[in-house]
Amino acid sequence: MTTESMQGPQADLPGPLDGIRVLELADEKGQFCGKLMADLGADVIKIEPPGGQNTRLIGPFLADKPSRETSLSFWHYNTSKRGVTLDLNSKEGQRLYRELARTADVVLETQPPGRMPDLGLGYDDLSKLNPSLIMCSLTPFGQNGPWRDFLSCDLLHLAAGGQMASSGYDQEDVPDAPPIAPGGGNAWHIAGHYAYIGILAALYHRDMTGEGQYIDASIHEACALTTEGAIAIYLSTGEVVQRHTGRHASPDMSTRIQLATKGGDWVNVTRSGSNLTPARLKVLAEWMDDHGMAQDLLDEKYYAPDGILENAFHITDVMAQFFEQMTQSEIWQGGQERDFPWGGVRTLDDIIGDPHLEEREFFVEVEHPELGQSFTYPGAAAIYNGSPWKISRRAPLVGEHNQEILCGELGVSLEELNLLAESGVV
Amino acid sequence: MNVDSKKPKPLDGIRVVDFTWVRAGPWAARWLGTLGADVIKVEWPENLDILRQNRFTIPPGVEPGPNSTGQFADTNANKRGISINTRTEKGLDLVKQLIGVSDVVIENFSSRIMRRWGLSYEEMRKLRPDLVYVSMAGFGQTGRHHAYSTMGPSAQALSGLTFLSGLPGEPPAGWGWSYLDDTGGMYGAMCALTALRHRNATGKGQHVDLSQMITGITLSGPAFLDRTVNGRKSKREGYPPGNRSVWPGAPVLNNYRGPIMAPHNAYRTKGGGYNDWCVIACTSDDEWTKLAEVMGRPAWSTDSKLQTVGGRIQHQEDMDSGIEKWTQTLEKYELMELCQNSDVRAMPVQSSEDRVENDPQLRHRGMYTQMEHPMLGNWKFQNAPFKLEKSPASIDKPPPMIGQHNREIFENLLGLTINEITDAYEDGTFWPPTMPKFPYIQEALP
Repeated sequence: MTTESMQGPQADLPGPLDGIRVLELADEKGQFCGKLMADLGADVIKIEPPGGQNTRLIGPFLADKPSRETSLSFWHYNTSKRGVTLDLNSKEGQRLYRELARTADVVLETQPPGRMPDLGLGYDDLSKLNPSLIMCSLTPFGQNGPWRDFLSCDLLHLAAGGQMASSGYDQEDVPDAPPIAPGGGNAWHIAGHYAYIGILAALYHRDMTGEGQYIDASIHEACALTTEGAIAIYLSTGEVVQRHTGRHASPDMSTRIQLATKGGDWVNVTRSGSNLTPARLKVLAEWMDDHGMAQDLLDEKYYAPDGILENAFHITDVMAQFFEQMTQSEIWQGGQERDFPWGGVRTLDDIIGDPHLEEREFFVEVEHPELGQSFTYPGAAAIYNGSPWKISRRAPLVGEHNQEILCGELGVSLEELNLLAESGVV
Repeated sequence: MNVDSKKPKPLDGIRVVDFTWVRAGPWAARWLGTLGADVIKVEWPENLDILRQNRFTIPPGVEPGPNSTGQFADTNANKRGISINTRTEKGLDLVKQLIGVSDVVIENFSSRIMRRWGLSYEEMRKLRPDLVYVSMAGFGQTGRHHAYSTMGPSAQALSGLTFLSGLPGEPPAGWGWSYLDDTGGMYGAMCALTALRHRNATGKGQHVDLSQMITGITLSGPAFLDRTVNGRKSKREGYPPGNRSVWPGAPVLNNYRGPIMAPHNAYRTKGGGYNDWCVIACTSDDEWTKLAEVMGRPAWSTDSKLQTVGGRIQHQEDMDSGIEKWTQTLEKYELMELCQNSDVRAMPVQSSEDRVENDPQLRHRGMYTQMEHPMLGNWKFQNAPFKLEKSPASIDKPPPMIGQHNREIFENLLGLTINEITDAYEDGTFWPPTMPKFPYIQEALP
């Protein structure tokens, strides 16, 4: 029933987290972190309330038909996991959860601060049963502080975290534009990456000492940490960055780096200062000259010391006129062939089917046996040559592994399972 | 120094040879150092790390130079540093000795540069059989375009991330910083930690081939499946939807930021300054009712057509202008308190200054650590966003000045005599002969 979508020459090897069991009691805030571990070989058991978690109701849906088993968002964020339903408000549900926690290496949870201890399922409770347990609570603002109980969502985190203050438009491009929160649910991604780092560090510590521990991870702090130079600029000069179209927010008026190409596309040429030397300008100007569009860029004044810096805006204007005559891929790939680190502003329409990605086996077919179909999922960012990343199965159906895990592993009888189901525990 | 510095660190005993530069790679190694690894940054003054040259982050009154930029400082805390010319036989030999006594090699050069130096994974394994090698090339080490290189902004563009930020009908707003340098950095640390954990379990090292650009594609999962499963195109009316869930007048489709909701937008607040904005989101009709209460139930808000999410999406422009009229009467933190006290989701747009100076939560949690830096004085560094109770991450060491730890590393770790070290300076292995040496380098020598 599993889909063996694999990578690399050693695809039969187990993943790097093989043998690690994770209990995931996580909604949209933490399910990405669980996926990162599951695709790398951890046995991630997702615990949902009876009937399934609300993250199953986030669209888009298969063929735009909503149901708890057709959320593409749920599909993506829950690959390679097994699923169990448990009502943690019931005594029986709590007991079974404790039994599962005995067998786990890691608990990842995103409940409001205080809720797990209130249920008798806090770290102090669980570590008595399993002293080497690692438990990571990933919450909007952490377990203490004045904002601890504030509500949040992706947009709110990107506001408070500083992403919005850095992203938006030049005044002349879109007058009075608001700060822009980039899409895609990235507050959860940023937090998931850092939570993963914390959990792996705790696993390493446990390997060395045998000791488990509690991790208090904050989404707000993860976001506040993720605006690159904005904090360093403020600390260094007291300046707050201004938002610029398609490029780094900065205190000054930098040159444009996102330039239009033929047909309404764009190419990003990165900050010119990081790649334009006289020798590089020569390469660029000669390329443009081949198309009769170098204008005066072969003039020697640009090749004098500071010639590029002093004429940066003019050079950008000439480049912009050249770009407008060429297609996006002619420009960015042509640039790359000449060693410029440029990139087309691609959409998924351009990315899906990219032969470079094909060659890295990025596009992964995942089987959905209950539908008799398989679908193409995004693959791995990193190829682990000695212990492959893989999607071992599609996201679990609601309670799909109740019997396998509760009966098969915890010794609950089928009779008991039926009783638990009828009383709403599973 | 903070109290966490006295506790054990998870990566105590791990040594990392850090060939990285600019942002993504150094940020990865920074986390390994913050978790306790001994990170040795390998540099050469004639090919300076771009962040050492970032003029925007040299504080006024500080003597300019490669050791004086705030951006380099925070990105390279908790490392030691050596300067060595790996393009000489002697330099390369010393670097190989260093790899032989290390656990991790990490680099973010263009693909296969290390191989050209004679430092392929196969070669490095001979020096250290269980070595973990993390490479972070833009397109990775395999695939037809592996030789293409990226910086954060172009990697973002190619990965699809740039396109999904902005207002419909306008050019992409993109990300106002190198998000994929941050993400690539986190990923680099994740790969190293994961491979180390695998080494603990199996005794085996490996080469992890990370692509910075591809990290970005993995962040568009639901949109990716909407394309491959439902065939829905990214270039469509009302997409990307700015700060909204659905752009007014556009087809009501999920745009991949959680459930569809309204309101879900940014609004101006009192003062009207550049960052006087807040965001408000209502995830349910009940939360809308609460927001209306907080606003004092103005007549327009009680209109029956606004009591369902469908109605609020249909009348979004009117609703948003009504909300903004109210938000403009309040200061952004005041508005946050009012809303959150009534279980309404609202937060201020916070600038860098706001986060450092005005955010009581970050202050309570100790987000910024003060530490003495030889050039910058008492300086703030950003802490980890996770607190490990028993073996916490902590910032204990300022970033290295270039070549600062040459003597201690080559003498104590590799056993060079002081004469061999002096010779290596004279023959140009440790410092370019034509370049003046910093006083701290002279002072470290007899």
